[in-house]
Amino acid sequence: MWLALCTVFPTLWSVIYGFNEQDLPAVSGQPNGDRFKIEGRAVVPGIRAQDWISSARVLVEGEEHVGFFRTDGSFTVNDVPFGSYVLEIVSPAYKFEPVRVDITSKGKMRARMVNYIKTSEVIRLPYPLQLRSSGSPSYFLKRETWGWTDFLMNPMVMMMVLPLLIIVLLPKVVNTNDPEMRREMEQSMNMLNPNHELPDVSEFMTKLFSSKSSGKSGSSSKTGKSGPMKRR
Amino acid sequence: MDVLARFLVLLSAVLALAAAVFEDQVGKFDWRRQYVGKVQFAYFDTQTQASKKLLVATDQNVIASINSRTGELLWRQLDKSGSEGYIDATLFHGQDAVVVSGNGRFLRSWETNIGGLNWEMVLDTGSFQFATFIGVQDTVKYVAVLKETAISLHYLSNGHQKWVENLPDSETVTYQLVYSGGNGIVYVLGLTTRSHLTIIAYNLEDGEILSQVLVQCPWIVSLHSNCAIVGEGNLVCADSETRSLYTLALETGRTLTQVTMQSLDLSLEEGFQPHIIATQPNPALNAHAQFFLQLGPHHYSLLQLQQDIISPVRDFQQTLLVTFATTGDKTVAVVVSSKNQTAYNINLFSADSGRRLLDTLTTVNLTPGEGPLVKAYVHAFLKKDDSVGYRVLLQTEDDSLIFVQQPGKILWTREEALADVVSMEMVDLPLTGTQAELEGEFGKKADGLLGMVFKRLSSQLILLQAWISHLWKMFYDARKPRSQVKNEVTIETLARDEFNLQKMMVMVTASGKLFGMESSSGTILWKHYLPGIHRTASLKLVVQRTTAHFPHPPQCTLLIKNKESGLTTLHVFNPIFGRKSHIVPPVLSRPVLQSLLLPIMDQDYAKVLLLIDDEYKVTAFPSSKNVLQQLQAIASSIFFCLVDAEQGKLSGFRLHKDLTTEQIWEVVIPTEVQKISVVKGKKANEHVHSQGRVMGDRSVLYKYLNPNLLAVVTESVDTHQERSFVGIYLIDGVTGRIIHEAVQRKARGPIYVVHSENWVVYEYWNTKSRRNEFSVLELYEGTEQYNSTAFSSLDRPQPPQVLQQSYIFPSPISMLEATITEKGITSRHLLVGLPSGAILSLPKMFLDPRRPEVPSEQSREENLIPYAPELPIRSEWFINYNQSVSRVKGIYTAPSGLESTCLVVAYGLDIYQTRVFPSKQFDVLKDDYDYVLISSVLLGLVFATMITKRLAQVKLLNRAWR
Repeated sequence: MWLALCTVFPTLWSVIYGFNEQDLPAVSGQPNGDRFKIEGRAVVPGIRAQDWISSARVLVEGEEHVGFFRTDGSFTVNDVPFGSYVLEIVSPAYKFEPVRVDITSKGKMRARMVNYIKTSEVIRLPYPLQLRSSGSPSYFLKRETWGWTDFLMNPMVMMMVLPLLIIVLLPKVVNTNDPEMRREMEQSMNMLNPNHELPDVSEFMTKLFSSKSSGKSGSSSKTGKSGPMKRR
Repeated sequence: MDVLARFLVLLSAVLALAAAVFEDQVGKFDWRRQYVGKVQFAYFDTQTQASKKLLVATDQNVIASINSRTGELLWRQLDKSGSEGYIDATLFHGQDAVVVSGNGRFLRSWETNIGGLNWEMVLDTGSFQFATFIGVQDTVKYVAVLKETAISLHYLSNGHQKWVENLPDSETVTYQLVYSGGNGIVYVLGLTTRSHLTIIAYNLEDGEILSQVLVQCPWIVSLHSNCAIVGEGNLVCADSETRSLYTLALETGRTLTQVTMQSLDLSLEEGFQPHIIATQPNPALNAHAQFFLQLGPHHYSLLQLQQDIISPVRDFQQTLLVTFATTGDKTVAVVVSSKNQTAYNINLFSADSGRRLLDTLTTVNLTPGEGPLVKAYVHAFLKKDDSVGYRVLLQTEDDSLIFVQQPGKILWTREEALADVVSMEMVDLPLTGTQAELEGEFGKKADGLLGMVFKRLSSQLILLQAWISHLWKMFYDARKPRSQVKNEVTIETLARDEFNLQKMMVMVTASGKLFGMESSSGTILWKHYLPGIHRTASLKLVVQRTTAHFPHPPQCTLLIKNKESGLTTLHVFNPIFGRKSHIVPPVLSRPVLQSLLLPIMDQDYAKVLLLIDDEYKVTAFPSSKNVLQQLQAIASSIFFCLVDAEQGKLSGFRLHKDLTTEQIWEVVIPTEVQKISVVKGKKANEHVHSQGRVMGDRSVLYKYLNPNLLAVVTESVDTHQERSFVGIYLIDGVTGRIIHEAVQRKARGPIYVVHSENWVVYEYWNTKSRRNEFSVLELYEGTEQYNSTAFSSLDRPQPPQVLQQSYIFPSPISMLEATITEKGITSRHLLVGLPSGAILSLPKMFLDPRRPEVPSEQSREENLIPYAPELPIRSEWFINYNQSVSRVKGIYTAPSGLESTCLVVAYGLDIYQTRVFPSKQFDVLKDDYDYVLISSVLLGLVFATMITKRLAQVKLLNRAWR
């Protein structure tokens, strides 16, 4: 009954490079050992420190150690034993990147980027810490709004509307009364449409429109006029 | 490339599934209440007349500034929780608040306008005793901190140390007081219990000992409660044995002068330890010459000490509280006495003469359900005509704060008990009167056919009437601006809504106060204080009868277990109105080990609660004959499991027909190696919709749905990073069979576990890689189900297949819970409380042990996300956007009437309530549903058909004419 069928996938590729920091223990040091402090400064571009620090805190490895901001935006986390910690600035309104701070047993400090996958990778950051907010976090999803532009920019609608426009407007733009032009057009038409048995799309469309407009008069008379011309 | 593209498409499909908040939904169905905790120190900023700041420091290690006009928080800063951040002392001066915390480890000065630090100092180790301001020449310049063995002086402006001196004979003498009258001498007072008093005078400038005096006083016990410094450096002590007061001038005195209380016409109540309450308005000047002597629980006397002679000023009988308040150069004595059960009188007296000040009587009427008053903080100010006006902050035994203005107007109330919620339940709201009438119709049958028809019609008529009035109200409200249409929820208008989204939140707090809150708005509808509950008592709330059984009222039972005696008492109440039920709970003479809520009900539809005491005897509540019969009938299928974490023992019991018990199994986890940290079963109200998962090859993988499964998590006793481990055992609670066992090496707690359906998710700290990791276990029966109709723990020959996968989580966590819905069709999300105060809604899809490392055609068809080691945290997934919830202690999830919607309450220091839609709102129209567009399109189409019809007719006619 102890033998349950276990299908445990090998996971978590923790690649270990030659980790050269023997003096860095993973657990925080003995309680009666030396205590160190982590110092730094945080900046939110364009915002004065006193406007955001009252809702912000510095958390080291969860709530294991807590630091507060001074009125100028600098902070000190006191009473930290040696070890390696992830320092994070929490503020509901501004986003900061977390930083890993290594403290050796002799009190040497080093700050580097947090990389949870390759834990020993070192991309150094300045110490005392200089943290800059990357703006406000985006908490909200955008509503899908319905606007005329969305409708018009839809590819299906574009595919429908553009040829229509061409059919309606092109005969107006191109002077079909010019005989040379007409000849050219006829030539190109023939080139485009070598198979005379297939019904011509444009012809079909013009037919359709002329027949529809024949019921009415006036405004659509021009298209009606251009229809038979093209047919010739 | 193709694979990548497909992966991206898949991922985006997944992301679209995740719950998130739209900007226009802010505050629509969510709310947050922020609290600070039980106030230990409070101070009114009296710098300017218009100042509205009230500064508080609390037992939750919070320092905060409250707007004294509205009761809202201006700012709040949270120190580490627990003893490491405990606030020992708080001193206020001008714009600065000086806080000593962590048993004298930190000395911080806060800028009270902004809520930022002026400076922070780390002090030497040593047990904290006392802190005070020290002034020179009328200005406050230094902070003195007294520790067990040393005294240190710091500059108020920058925190730097001026001097530190070791205290002589600190092994035998406990130093407790520091006093300075602003004359350049710092007195440190210490005592050796029942022997002598030590007075050391230090030079303020360099810390040199000027004099050291020993005074014999064999009766002395403590300086804090029995003694105080009064007037120009006189120590006044009260002794209950000799019934006398002792005075001593610090500067010159060598012996104590005894004055019997009798000679002052004072009578000390029998067996009462007298208290002295004195005041020193300005630390740079001498203390006030007047002081209060407490002679009994409700008896105080105002005395004064002038020219070494004590004389009585005024006697106060039947008084609850006394305190001093100072404004300008006037010092007044504030006296609070009780008028009746809920009303209190507050009076001001001149401290110098003892005369009552005119027009200072304030009568405060508290709402019922509050505890007795324990403290009063007074903000006195000078009015234009030079008379003294005041406002009072009253604190009750259940931590609530009431701010009162003259004459007796309550400006605001803060229920600080809610900062420490221990347990909560959500109860459905009752039906309205008309709905209830309709329900009642089906109950009776003896009316005959005609009567029934008539009744039916009349109730339908009532419904119609209600509907019309509802429509009228909607129409009426629609004309008013939106901000004004705030439906006031009162206990009378409570009614269940269409989708059962509104519920009653019953909150149990550590102070022993119960609250009933309406879930959609957070309005407190009732409160009930249970006096005499110790803060360490463990409280458990069970819902015995829901609102579904009209006309029986709903019923909740609170089990209160005293930590010291181990005895349990029951409090039975109605969760909708908060009233105590008339049902008499059983008296339990033995400590209760375990309580079980059985699915069987008595004739009044109350679920049966089984209580197992330390002799393994069972008590049933309610215990009517009907219940006992039912119990006997099903006794053979009742099993229970007891966990003794201290001895590492899990034992299973069965119930006999005569309500005796028998142990049937025992699992011992050796405590020398590991200790049990979490035991988690499944939620009783959980539904699982699908019995299996359809795989890519169209076969079905059946889930192993064992309702009796317990997840037991252990931690190693050895905490060394190389040797520590976390063990997880899945144990069947009926048979004691260990279904699965796994060990996570190089891991340690804190461990958070969620156990639901066929999966267990747990989170731990990886000591080697220094990161938090999630691990998921899923149990499957395989492609064939053994018995599809019912699950029996006793008849399961095949062990389940167990799949496991782990992931990195890029943040520590403070709480873990899973969403729950009515029928379990909606996909599940995990709600993860982060230390930043955000609550992350993480789709369970990301924690699926079948996530493939290399995606295949089949896995893609199953919608499995390819394995990635790191779980994402997106700010769009924070269900509480910027409304961070500090120190989340619990997340409560409850299903609503809508399958898509799960109600979530996160509680800790703050309370946050919201709704989540793990698979989006698939069963209701969206909030932004465009009624205008759809109706205009419809109308347009109707018109278009009409016009075209007309045109077609004309055309046909024309063709016919042709």
